[in-house]
Amino acid sequence: MTLVFNKLRKEYGQVVAIDDVTASFAPGLIHGVIGPNGAGKSTLINMTAGSYTVSAGSIMLDGKRLDKLKKYQIANSGVARTYQNIRLFDQMTALENLEVCFYPSDVGGTWKEVVWPPYASARRDRRREKCMEILRLFDLQGHADAEAGSLPYGRQRMLEIARALVCNPRLLLLDEPAAGLNHHETADLTAKLAAQRSPDRITIIVEHDMDLVMALCDNIIVMHHGKLLFQGTPAEVQASTDVQLAYLGTANDIDDIRAAAQDRRAQLGIRTRRRS
Amino acid sequence: MSVAESLAAVRPRSSRAVAFLVFAVAIALIAATPFLPNYYIRVIDSLLIYILLGIGLNIVIGYTGLLDLGFVAFYAVGAYSYALLASPQLDLHLPFLLILVVAACLGAITGILLGIPVLRLRGDYLAIVTLGFGEIVRIIINNVDWLTGGPKGIARLDKASILGIQIARPVDFFWLLLVVVLLAGLVAWRLERSILGKAWAAIREDQDAARGIGINTTNAKLAAFATSATIGSIAGAIFAASQRFVSPESFTLQESVLIVLMIVIGGIGNILGIVAGAAILILLPEVLREFAEWRILFLGLLMIFLIIVRPAGIVPRSFGPDKLIRRLFGK
Repeated sequence: MTLVFNKLRKEYGQVVAIDDVTASFAPGLIHGVIGPNGAGKSTLINMTAGSYTVSAGSIMLDGKRLDKLKKYQIANSGVARTYQNIRLFDQMTALENLEVCFYPSDVGGTWKEVVWPPYASARRDRRREKCMEILRLFDLQGHADAEAGSLPYGRQRMLEIARALVCNPRLLLLDEPAAGLNHHETADLTAKLAAQRSPDRITIIVEHDMDLVMALCDNIIVMHHGKLLFQGTPAEVQASTDVQLAYLGTANDIDDIRAAAQDRRAQLGIRTRRRS
Repeated sequence: MSVAESLAAVRPRSSRAVAFLVFAVAIALIAATPFLPNYYIRVIDSLLIYILLGIGLNIVIGYTGLLDLGFVAFYAVGAYSYALLASPQLDLHLPFLLILVVAACLGAITGILLGIPVLRLRGDYLAIVTLGFGEIVRIIINNVDWLTGGPKGIARLDKASILGIQIARPVDFFWLLLVVVLLAGLVAWRLERSILGKAWAAIREDQDAARGIGINTTNAKLAAFATSATIGSIAGAIFAASQRFVSPESFTLQESVLIVLMIVIGGIGNILGIVAGAAILILLPEVLREFAEWRILFLGLLMIFLIIVRPAGIVPRSFGPDKLIRRLFGK
């Protein structure tokens, strides 16, 4: 069972952002989605997670149609995501940011939590135990009670990924997880993402950082002008003349592409630092 | 030892002392109230009603982050529930406790009825629509003369009694209100700590990301509107019983604004703050009564001062009931 895009299409008026993309993603693997800016990578993630509507075609997860569901129902089907611009619950603590993810399973007991304190604390302890486990995985255990908005940028990125993982999602969608991180942090992130691999999980990463993509991904999808240009292993993608011509220019331009990605990261870093 | 170190060593104990002091003063005030002249007890009764309203509205504004300017509508629903079910108006004389239950249910229903159309709205738009809702309820009450007595209101409401004990004197209402305020505060606080309360906070921080982690924001928001309106409606029923007279004049936009101000000045999202905010906005005008029209100017200046000095409120969100309890009992 897998995630399947079937002739998936997204149009904004006359503009075709995603042009009949058909692809399937096997569990247990980490799938990378790469391509120049405007290729439609983030649009794919946003449609899968239900943030954007689908113009035509369908998205199936384990035979269940996702694109007709509401966003929260998609999340409850086992889909978790991070955002290109970090979206944490800023005034809640790091721990609470993860704890609230247990809402779908625990909300039925709300009134019992209100009237019967021992039940409430048992429930809360059980939730928090699971959350602390994930926080430790991301070296955030020391920041559990810090307000999420007050954490440094790199930690916020980690916390957002931790939040996506806390309910053990079937499908994990990461939208530029390395954006704004420095070399050291990116290497750290790569190791942590490799560690979260599980045979049941489908992980999809949209990323401009080629070091991360090539190191981490088992399968890479190259998008170009809303179309699926190429699909293969990192070695195949690097060897493909199609990809080189359409996306990288010529083989010698790879350094330019790297430099461009570096610039973009620097830009993002500056912008986010100003924001916080 | 450096100054900073010695300060750090002293602080926990001294802030614990402050917590104990606040607690002791509160107990002393409660114990002293029955011995005050009736006028003062009436002022304290009205303070407690406003605290109750604040606790209710805070669920929507403070916990869930939805600016509701029509809260007075639920207050009116509760008040008119009592007025119609315990007066010669319809010649109905139901027992007080039963009316409280009816008022709570009607409040919850009106809360959901308001909640459904405003689900998609946030911020300014939500404020304007809820403001309109509050006005609509008041105008309907003002014009349905055959039922509500129109602008004349409904007079000669029954004296309330609970299990045969008559509740008529201001001091009776003081004890009743104290119990209801403590109960409502307890429920609101425990709701805030529950998983639903965490979901409300997530909606307040980022509604879209909240949906992204699987929160059905429609249900969570309706739950907030319903609980908030229930508390407002109960406050209204008790208010009507204590005045034994209701008229649309008590339910103007100004009342809604006053409750919002209490929350903002006291400390948004914090029950302790609401008590502080209500104390300032309800008690101070009484204290300053002898200065006549100057008191409005004085109150305005005080509000500007407080907003500048303590923008997060007198008791900010970070110092909630949890923290007070931890300070008091040191866990």
